[in-house]
Amino acid sequence: MTTLLAFVRFCGIVARASLSNPPPVRRIVEEAHGIGVRSLPILLVVSAFVGTNLAVQGYNAFAPLGGERLIGMFVALAGVRELAPVMVAAMVAAKAGTEMASQIAVMRIGEQIDALEVMALSPHWFLVTPRLVGILLVIPALTMISIFTLVLCSYGVAVYQLGLDGNDFIQLAAATTRPVDLLSCAAKSLVFGAIICLVSCFYGFHTRPGPAGVGQATNAAVVVSAVSCAALNYVLSEVLFG
Amino acid sequence: MTTSTPDDPIIRLVDVHKRFGDLVVLDGVSMGIPRGLTTVLLGPSGTGKSVLIKHIVGLLEPDAGEVWVDDVEMGRASMKQRYAVRRRFGMMFQQGALFDNLTAGENVEFPLRYHRRMGAAERRRIAAEKLALVELPEVYDRPTSALSGGQRKRVSLARAIVLEPDVVLFDEPNSGLDPMTSGTVDALIQRMKEQLGVTFVVITHDIVQAVTVADWIGMLSGGHLVAYGPTETFLQSDHPTVRAFLSRKLPEGT
Repeated sequence: MTTLLAFVRFCGIVARASLSNPPPVRRIVEEAHGIGVRSLPILLVVSAFVGTNLAVQGYNAFAPLGGERLIGMFVALAGVRELAPVMVAAMVAAKAGTEMASQIAVMRIGEQIDALEVMALSPHWFLVTPRLVGILLVIPALTMISIFTLVLCSYGVAVYQLGLDGNDFIQLAAATTRPVDLLSCAAKSLVFGAIICLVSCFYGFHTRPGPAGVGQATNAAVVVSAVSCAALNYVLSEVLFG
Repeated sequence: MTTSTPDDPIIRLVDVHKRFGDLVVLDGVSMGIPRGLTTVLLGPSGTGKSVLIKHIVGLLEPDAGEVWVDDVEMGRASMKQRYAVRRRFGMMFQQGALFDNLTAGENVEFPLRYHRRMGAAERRRIAAEKLALVELPEVYDRPTSALSGGQRKRVSLARAIVLEPDVVLFDEPNSGLDPMTSGTVDALIQRMKEQLGVTFVVITHDIVQAVTVADWIGMLSGGHLVAYGPTETFLQSDHPTVRAFLSRKLPEGT
């Protein structure tokens, strides 16, 4: 409970710092670029294999019932609406979130955050706001890339490995995924991005001294971010997709 | 307890108390830091010297008591007022607190980038000038990872003075340095004191450094300021802790 209150207070300070002064553009570009570049390779690999497995397991589930042509719909419902946003969140938390937490924790221990304060610069404004804006800029794009990769690889497995009709796959996937669904996925990813950034920075700011403290902060950042995103995904899906 | 009060203090601590859990670190410390002079706070490790200096710049807030910087009470000041006060301070941190993703020169430029409207060339010129002042003109483009402990401290000092502050705080400037480098840092502080004419506050457990650079010396022990006054007065203090500290640490004949 104390941690939750401290987190709410932290978010309040970040909001106030962000609104009182526009964040430095150069830092936002650096962060957006870093988060995108760091997360993209692993995201492509994981999305590709989640796509292939969705096709295979969808086939195993529907083929005995004679419904193997529904794989396109299955991939669109499970992969696009649910898996891709959560998967992107998990990967970004694992790559960018851990880096945010550990970098800020090391800065806390090395008195660099105190140095910013003494230089009359809000560390929340300087360290958190550019990361927050950066992640919000790139995470919807990462989600769309993940969706594209996932569907493409599902299609490849469905057509070339399982011998299904490619037109059926595309028609059913397209009929199930409306443009508004993609917008909803982007909205989900924005919420997840904000959570990952704020949680990771929070644990970095509140690290205990020493290398063990940095490890604990990093660990807590990725665990809390991932669990929060997974739980929130359920709520958001209910709200957005009914 | 033998403590004096300066005529024109720039910083005043009034009955400051601070504890962390059960550990009482500051137990009613009151003192004034004289304007334009060098004040050294002495004390064994773990006596709250760093905690005290962090109260001065508002990095920590007292559980009770007041910290005044001229006419601003830091505890009651808004964040905007605090930042305005902090712009009058520079601080040399114990481990340097340099930003590892920047070069030494970029670290010195850093405060200028956010507090002064000027072009990159002008920033570089001023930062180079400050690095020359701390006798490190050659390290401008060097990554901070390639600096020695003493160099990191001196770059930290160059960054601390780049905005030409009214007060410069030194947190254990000689800790972790060999005697030769410590002597160089002492000489540097002494020279900068003469050149800049600003208020220096130095916390250290090094009595040799204290005697070398101080106009005023105070000693913290057990959460109390047990002795405080001009250097000559302090050295004659008959407080047992001061005598024990001096007899153990001060070279013969000082």
